[in-house]
Order: sequence, then structure tokens, then C-alpha cells
Amino acid sequence: MDVFIAQIINGLSQGSIYVLLVTAFNLMLLVARIIQFAYPQFVVLAMYASWLVLEKSGNVILAALAAIAVSVLLNLLSEPIFRRINNIEKIDINASFVASMGLSMIIVEIMSHSINNGFPVSFPDYWTGENIIDFNYINIGRGELAALLGGIILVALFFYLLYHTHYGRVFRAIAEDRKTAKKVGLPILKSNLLSYLIAGILGGIIAILFSMFLGSASPWLGETVALKVLAVSITAGLGNLTGGLYVGLGLGILESLAIGYFSGSWSDVIAFLLMLVVVLSKPQGLFGAALE
Amino acid sequence: MSYFIGYTLIYILMTWSIYLPYRVKDLHFLNVAIMAVTAYFSAVAAVNWGWPFYLVLITAIFIGIIISFVISKVIGDVPTFTVVIVGITFIFIVKTIIENSDYLGGTMGFFAIPFLDHPLIIMGGITLFFAYILYMLNHSQIGKAASVIFSDKKMAHSLGINVKNIGRLFQTISSAMAGSAGVLYAYFTGSLFPDFFSFHLVGTLMTILFIGGYTTMWGVIPAAILLGGVPVFLPSAVSSWKILIYGVLLVAVILINPEGIITKKMLWKLKNKFIS
Repeated sequence: MDVFIAQIINGLSQGSIYVLLVTAFNLMLLVARIIQFAYPQFVVLAMYASWLVLEKSGNVILAALAAIAVSVLLNLLSEPIFRRINNIEKIDINASFVASMGLSMIIVEIMSHSINNGFPVSFPDYWTGENIIDFNYINIGRGELAALLGGIILVALFFYLLYHTHYGRVFRAIAEDRKTAKKVGLPILKSNLLSYLIAGILGGIIAILFSMFLGSASPWLGETVALKVLAVSITAGLGNLTGGLYVGLGLGILESLAIGYFSGSWSDVIAFLLMLVVVLSKPQGLFGAALE
Repeated sequence: MSYFIGYTLIYILMTWSIYLPYRVKDLHFLNVAIMAVTAYFSAVAAVNWGWPFYLVLITAIFIGIIISFVISKVIGDVPTFTVVIVGITFIFIVKTIIENSDYLGGTMGFFAIPFLDHPLIIMGGITLFFAYILYMLNHSQIGKAASVIFSDKKMAHSLGINVKNIGRLFQTISSAMAGSAGVLYAYFTGSLFPDFFSFHLVGTLMTILFIGGYTTMWGVIPAAILLGGVPVFLPSAVSSWKILIYGVLLVAVILINPEGIITKKMLWKLKNKFIS
């Protein structure tokens, strides 16, 4: 029973990270109309930025700011690329997927060549923290708690922004019907930029939480995470923000239980297999796709 | 040089196996999993069972077709990104099974696969055979129907085109290509490692397809030569950054000419020029 409880807690923390990633991914999908496959790579590069600052200065506040700054910068720099792709006639969402695969390849190569000679990096103990709860098999570290609480607070803030602010209404209107939104004079470009900015800030915070939770990062981390984020978004229903919450948390718990009861290498297979069964039985996703 | 030609032929075959289902807008990464299955099958059949090459090849193609047919029958006509998830899932499944199987060499790899006597002639012949099939398919009624599906799936349905069957046919033929590519890869390299059959391979194939051009089968050839040539012909200081070069080229092509370097329109103009 202890193992089960420990894995559930761990899964909720891991799931919170997935939820944040999927939320940012879906935001860009709905507002900017792109499949941003490179987004998790941006997050991993932001994790590396915080590691570099920690190595040089040991200052946690500077490291956190570096993660946010790098994530915001990367997201804003990618905006003109995706805007141009979306402006080309007869271009569908697949083009943004392919372009973001290209961006993803560039980032992985930079990380695997230029930082720590391509070896995975380990975050220091003062960043990841000691165990807060240590009872039989139930060990809850500061990273796990931070991921869980951070996830809840950020998602709550995001949904508040979406449903109780002026910009949230604009985002929803654009997501609903982009052409009409443009006709009635809603600021499409400004909203696009804002969605990248929000995704960038979220990405930076995810990088902090993820590095605290995992305690390490590698150049190839983003690739597996990117595949999972895409799978969660499709399983929930492309662009379905609420669905992303449930499926992201579900994936975290499922993976964690699979690691607890099976060999670690099978956890990805089990998770993907289950998501596959769902998308085959409901091709529009469990909660319905917001976009076709 | 023979190393470069051999790899280029394998990449051409594999990229065509992604190109063909993309004619109806399906991104079938399942073929990477099929390539892994047939590569390991041929390794076991050749080393442990002593099967001759052509028997291995025919059986592997058959295995690829069966896997693909069954899966495409189960998934039916689903959105593009659902097909992507199907492919990724099977890549994970196959890779994990191989990594956890001592019989297949696990993560350490499978060695001592016999080399062919004239590998490049056999590989060239198989590539030409599939090029012929692709050419005939593209110039048939089915090829035209596929173009309609690519432009507008709803319109294709309205015109009475059987979208599901054409998709299934294309996926089945492409799995035969992937099956052959797996066998050729095993016999050409003499050793197999599960890490090769991962999402990295998907990235390379997508790069070749989208840089070369996805509107025609011919774009794949110069793109495979060009990209395959990066590690062979450029100095090691530059070629060690090959993935970065691929990524930059991919983004640049999507921005400048999203249909790729070789397009249907370009070939049409060239053809008219030659005729006149």
C-alpha cells in the first residue's frame, strides 16, 4: 500500500508538469494555430540555463530568472517563424509541426554539443532539496511538492486569466473563430504575441519545477516529453484545455504506477499503449477536439 | 563511397515509405517500427536459422505488409495526428521489446549478420523496383484520387473517392518498402542496435522528405544524397553538427519554399521546356 501511495503522489507531481506543458502547448495551438513540438525542448534548454547559472554563481534566484528569461526569449524568437508559416497560403497545421521538429533538432544538437560536453547535468542538492516527508516507502521531496503545488497554482492562474480577464475573452474568441475575430477587430497579432509570452513565462517556471523534480536534465529529455505532450493533447482532444488537465494528470499517475510495479523501460510503452487505445476508440479525443 | 551509396539507398526507400502515405496526408511513422521488426527478423533468420537472403527478404516484406494491413484496418480513417500517435506507440513498443530481449541482443546490439556479395546491385535493384511501383501509382487514377484527398478530404468523400481504402493501400505498399529497407539495412551494416530505430530516424526521414519536396517522389533522391553526404563529404568539424544542419535546412525550406526543393510544378515546367 505504501508503494501505491508513494507512486500516486509522485504521479501527481509528474502529472502536474505534464498539465502545465500541455496547457501552454494548447494555448499556442488555439491562439497561434501551431503545433509547437519544440516547446518541451525550449523548457529543457531553460533547465540547462538555470544549471549553468547555478554552476557559475550558485545563486538560486538568478538561476530561476535565467530559466524564465531563456524560455521567454526562445518562444518570442520563434514567433516570426511560425507567423510566416501561417501566412503562407495553403499551409496547414502540419507545416508548423514539421518546422518545430526542425527547431527541436537544432536545440538538441546545441545541448548535446555545447553544454557539459553533451553529458546529462545534475542539479545541486540546494536546488532540488531534501525529503520533506520520509515515512516507510513514502518519500516526498521538495521538488515533488513544488511541482504539485506549482502546477495547481499556475493552472488556477491560467484559467483565471482565460475566463475572467479581457485578454482571456480575446483568446477564447480567436480560438473559437479566428476569421470572425479578425473581422470584428480583435487584435490577432497582439494576442498571438501574448500567447507566446505567456507560454514563455510558463515554460520558464516549468523548467524550474521540472529540474527540482527530476534533479537532472539531458539533451534527449525534451524529445520524449514532446512526444508525450503531443500524445496527451491528442488523447484529450487537440486544443481542449480542460481535457489536457485530466489526461496530463492521468498520464503522470499511470507512468508512476507503471514504474512502481513494472520494469522502468516499460512505463512509456504502457502509457502510449493506453493513450493509443483511447485515440482509436475516440479519434477526436476523450473530451473532444477544439480544433479539427 | 559504397557506405554512402548503401545508406543513401536505404534512406531513399524509407523516405518513400513515409512519402506514400503522406500523399493522403497520413504521417505514418509506423514504418520505422516495421523497419526495426524486419531488420531484427532478418538478423535472426540469417544468423540463427541460416535462411538464404531472398527467402528472408520475401518473408520480411510479407511480415511488414501483414503488420501494416492489420493496424491500418484497426485504425481506419482517423485524423493525421492520431496516425502519428499510432506510429510513435509502435516505435516505443518495438524498441522496448528489443532492448529487453537477450535473444535479440538487447541494448548491446545484434552482431555477425552475413554481408551480401554484391550489396549495392541488390539494393539498387530493389530501390528501382519500388521507384517503378511508385511512378505507376502516381500516374494512375489512384494517384490522382490521392491528390484530391491531399487537397481536400471532404471534397474527395463527396466525389465518391474511397479515402479509407486508398489510405490502406498506400500504407500497405509503403510497409513493403519499409520491410525491405529493414532487411537491406541489417545485411548492409552487419549489426543492429535498437537506438537506431528511434524518433531520431523519424526526424531524419522527415527532413529528407520535406527538404526534397513532398509533392513528388523525385525530391527524396537529391535530398537523401545531399543530407547523407553531409557526414561523408564535409570535414568532421562541420559534419559532427549534421543534425543542426538538417534542422536549419528544414526550417529554412519550410519558410522559403514549403513544398520543398523539387516540386510538381517545377517538374511540369521542366517537362514542358524539354518537349518544346
